[in-house]
Amino acid sequence: MSNGFDVVAENLRTRYQKVQGNGEQIPPGYDLIENRVLDSLGFVEFILLLEEHSGREISIDSVSREDFRTVESIRKRFFDGV
Amino acid sequence: MTATYASVRERLDQDPGFRDVLKRLVDLSERDYYNPYREFQWPDSLPEQRWWMTPEMMVEHGTAVGATLSEQQLQTISRWESINFYSLNVHGIRELLHEIIARIHTTDFVAPSAYFHHIIGEENEHMWFFAEFCLRYGGKIYPSRAMSLAGPGVAEADHFLVFSRLLIFEELVDVFNQRMGQDERLDPTIRKVNEVHHRDESRHIAFGRQIVAMLWSDLRDRIDQSQQAVLEAYIKRYMIASIDSLVDPLIYKDAGIPDPYEVRRQVLADPSHPAYVERILKRSISFMTNTGVFTSPLFEEPRRAGAAS
Ligand SMILES: [Fe+2]
Ligand SMILES: [Fe+2]
Repeated sequence: MSNGFDVVAENLRTRYQKVQGNGEQIPPGYDLIENRVLDSLGFVEFILLLEEHSGREISIDSVSREDFRTVESIRKRFFDGV
Repeated sequence: MTATYASVRERLDQDPGFRDVLKRLVDLSERDYYNPYREFQWPDSLPEQRWWMTPEMMVEHGTAVGATLSEQQLQTISRWESINFYSLNVHGIRELLHEIIARIHTTDFVAPSAYFHHIIGEENEHMWFFAEFCLRYGGKIYPSRAMSLAGPGVAEADHFLVFSRLLIFEELVDVFNQRMGQDERLDPTIRKVNEVHHRDESRHIAFGRQIVAMLWSDLRDRIDQSQQAVLEAYIKRYMIASIDSLVDPLIYKDAGIPDPYEVRRQVLADPSHPAYVERILKRSISFMTNTGVFTSPLFEEPRRAGAAS
């Protein structure tokens, strides 16, 4: 599933660049929520991408905002096995 | 003539036009009060191979993917797309109730609180019949996809944003209700749900337009051009995201269409899609433009000083 994660990571990087206005990588531990890389309006598209590329249906009732805090937490929660 | 008001409360209290509207809406709500639990027949099942939505209103209509699907496939999609539509209503009403309940009988909202009781009561009933429809004829309510994260981050804009979102949501739904309530191709139960909802919503929308216009004229004087531009851009994004949520991969999955995520992507990326968005949201877009919230068309950047991003 690491392939699926790459697509998600690339999507986050594109969002990050839009927010930051430059082409760098997302620094480790970077807070995606605090920095509005993921915001309310962009969330639906992101969760659908995550579903598609993790191969798991994601129920919003069973996830929390902390699962989306960093690139690492997303990987851990949705790609590293249950 | 624009008077300056010290607070939202004063603004809402002292507008004679608003008071009249509120009085009229309360009267109408009392007059048209009905028992929703007795209003519907709820047959055991609805015929599956029929239109469940007005085909011209479906998001696939006029797209290249739509053209590759048979009428039978589109009808099956229309069934699940309608379940998704009513599910969105259930989730949207949850948000609406949450926001109205947070405001009723608080300082800023003394004036509309009497009417809030009617909105809350009516929306509870709408939520019930939409949920009932989903559970009876779809066997489920599709889960919400939304999570509450950061908004546009403009201080003091909360009331305006909440009532704008609610208005846009109600107007969007009402465009479908009006059309589907009259569409002879649809089963009578489907027509009835849409028609009943439309009757109540015409009042909510009248209220929504009043309060959004007032909150905007209040807010406009307190924030600068670049903050106004941020709000304009945010509401435009909200509109587009609302339309895009009408299509969910789960619809295609349930309709037995292969590659559901890809189909959704193609529908939304279709060159005809922006025109669909503008067609469905026509009333809301003109309202936002006439009120002065929008300074440019939906898919364009705000034309305000300092509108950088
Ligand atoms: Fe409603
Ligand atoms: Fe309503």
